Amino acid sequence: MSNSTAAGAPEAASKSSRFNFSLRDAGTLIGLVVIMAVFASLVPGFLSERNLINILQQSSINACLALGMTLVIISGGIDLSVGPTAAISAVITATLLLSGTPVPLAILAGLGIGILCGFINGVLVAYVGLQPFIVTLGTLSTYRALALIYTGGNPVLGIPPAFRSLFNGNVLGIPTPVIIVAIVAIAAWVLLKKTPIGEYLLAVGGNEEAAYVAGVPIARTKITAYVISGGLAALASLILIGRLGAAEPILGNLWELDAIAAAAIGGASLMGGKGSILGTILGAIILGAMRNGLTLMNVQAFYQLLATGLIILVAMMIDRATRGRE
Amino acid sequence: MTQTPRLQFDTISKSFTSVRALSDVSFTVAPGEIHGLLGENGAGKSTLLRILSGVFRPTSGSVSVDGTPVSFRKPLDARAAGIAMIHQELHQVPHLTVAQNMFLGHPLTKVGGLFVSRREQERRAAEALSLIDPTIDPSAPISTLKVAQRQIVEIGRALLDRAKIIAMDEPTSSLTPSEFERLAEVIAQLAASGVSIIYVSHKMDEVFRICQRSSVMRDGRLVGVVDMKTTSPQDVITMMVGRELMQETHVSHATSVVKLEARNLASTAKIRDTSFRLHKGEVLGIAGLVGSGRTELLRLLAGVDRSSAGSIEIDGKTVTLSSPRDAISAGIGLVPEERKRDGIIPARSVTNNMALASLESFSKAGMIQKGKLRRTAQDLLKRVNLRPFQLDRPIRLFSGGNQQKAIIARWLASRSQILLFDEPTRGIDVGAKAEIYHLIEALAADGHSIVVVSSELPEVIRLSDRVLVMRDGRIAAELGREDLSESAIVAHAIPGASAEAAPGATHIQSVS
Repeated sequence: MSNSTAAGAPEAASKSSRFNFSLRDAGTLIGLVVIMAVFASLVPGFLSERNLINILQQSSINACLALGMTLVIISGGIDLSVGPTAAISAVITATLLLSGTPVPLAILAGLGIGILCGFINGVLVAYVGLQPFIVTLGTLSTYRALALIYTGGNPVLGIPPAFRSLFNGNVLGIPTPVIIVAIVAIAAWVLLKKTPIGEYLLAVGGNEEAAYVAGVPIARTKITAYVISGGLAALASLILIGRLGAAEPILGNLWELDAIAAAAIGGASLMGGKGSILGTILGAIILGAMRNGLTLMNVQAFYQLLATGLIILVAMMIDRATRGRE
Repeated sequence: MTQTPRLQFDTISKSFTSVRALSDVSFTVAPGEIHGLLGENGAGKSTLLRILSGVFRPTSGSVSVDGTPVSFRKPLDARAAGIAMIHQELHQVPHLTVAQNMFLGHPLTKVGGLFVSRREQERRAAEALSLIDPTIDPSAPISTLKVAQRQIVEIGRALLDRAKIIAMDEPTSSLTPSEFERLAEVIAQLAASGVSIIYVSHKMDEVFRICQRSSVMRDGRLVGVVDMKTTSPQDVITMMVGRELMQETHVSHATSVVKLEARNLASTAKIRDTSFRLHKGEVLGIAGLVGSGRTELLRLLAGVDRSSAGSIEIDGKTVTLSSPRDAISAGIGLVPEERKRDGIIPARSVTNNMALASLESFSKAGMIQKGKLRRTAQDLLKRVNLRPFQLDRPIRLFSGGNQQKAIIARWLASRSQILLFDEPTRGIDVGAKAEIYHLIEALAADGHSIVVVSSELPEVIRLSDRVLVMRDGRIAAELGREDLSESAIVAHAIPGASAEAAPGATHIQSVS
């Protein structure tokens, strides 16, 4: 998020849409580079291979959520319920594992729960016609309550090593969660850029009325977005409980905010119709790098929160200023 | 006109970015005069009223009230100068009372502006209403009133503002004849007390009944000011529509094969008992006033709105059109009037906009085949003559005419056999207009069946093999090519303009 973004984007208006998007991504990348450079000069060892891998690992959960969030935002919606969706999925998966359910089955069940939560959101938005903000605000509380009721408010401890090793391993020195999220990101990119569903998401978010007249299946498209978001929230929770070895019903508190922030920094417009998978990933890494750097500098958590808030506002102001000249 | 005119328009012109909406319009309205303002849709009446009410500022020319030039920066300035507007669509808050609505935006207050003085508002509202309709209770919620009474409340509001000029934009469009009589009395009473009225209406009989003089507009210009006592409805209609017909010859490609047949269609929105046939290769025009049901009929055929009764057959088979998707798979495509709202996805490329209705056919195993899509885009967008020919450019950066071409290409890509055009050349410059016309003709020659809804009569006449004239949600008349004239269409479209007003109308067979 530097001046280069501001200087670069106006040109984009005259170029093709494909180029337009990559230019916005270039802006996000420059922002990331600037932030990395600042921390590199302040924190010795910030750019070490080990810390860079750390940053990726620490960003992976938010990136996973933010990918789903990006698709929902592109469709013109919002999913505030990702944290509680993750929590339900986590506690159910953990309970199943403890009761001796085979690991693959427990994982499928966990993902299934997330997909179901997303499906309910999608149906309420697409068929009942409620506002996405209100729907997911309602399910934010509902899903959280279900997770608390299910566990009686207690954490589910003692997740078996067979499950944990799946999410704690390395492949060629890269942590499994990073690889999983990278695969998800590629899949999301393909979905958005190469499939009719992706085009429908962009069309519904860009102009729902026109998309309807052109025969786009509006309800199916919206539901797909929420289902993916719910499924990815569940996947994020599996990564987390794999790392922690326990599933808490209060897990995932405020996850939605980081996910929205990553998507927005990456160029998703909350008005819908616009967003970038690469941008979202970069956005998640920007947030992760900031937190990592500030922690290494021993900055108090309060100031970390302050810095996160400011970076979001600054990023959005730059975005606004450049789009305003279209 | 020896006295100072109450209102004077002096060589008013108004241009929007590229379109000239008004050119040198000048006329005067005397104190206490009821002055009609007539013209077809798009003639410039609304623009003129918006200048009068301070919404727009004229590009050149001036408005004078009681001999003093006025310049309004915002609607409140016009109101302060004694000008009140009564819109066709009433701007009222339904759950507030009559008095609250009359004082909306500038309430009477007490205790230094802290509280609204409802009692005083109601007293003053009753005072104003007593002059025109004492039966209206100022403390009743406005939603409990009939439309005619609500209109009278608006007039009462104008009186509260001590309006000297009241402009009424089609005030009777939703009134019954007896309600019109009541309104006419109120208007006469106001005029007698010295208020000048500008009365916009399509209804000839009303204008002749109420107004003393009328200004007739066409294509943004004043055609003339007529005295109602010495003129006839026929003359006025001729003035409204009497522009040169386009000289191009019409070639029909219509066959006798029935492509689509609608039987007794009705909708809750507007359409009543409408039946017609559309042939292969035919261009069927639909004319009528705004609000006559033209757009609603197209939306039924396009599956955007649902019909409440009747049936539609395509190629002899009954089809159910409960969504645009159904209509598209039945081979129907809609080129909507509001391109920005209903047509384009602004940020997407012109290629993606073209492909939107047929993406599945460009896909294999769930993936869009870029090569196939590109080849089709090149082929079809060339055929519609897209300019500039940049297939990856976002559609919002194209001109209106080229956006329209992309939407037409959308339906070629989906192989639609029936194309519905709603105001195909609205907001499109003259050059592109001719291109769209040629495109429509080429499509018909190709065997497509085409329906064109248009407010521009020369356009309807230029394009159509046959014209249905709609009025109040029904087909009022069907005109064959040989009976087609602007005056014939107008005679059937405008209630109260009798059939003998139009020379071509004598041998029109009515469809009932």
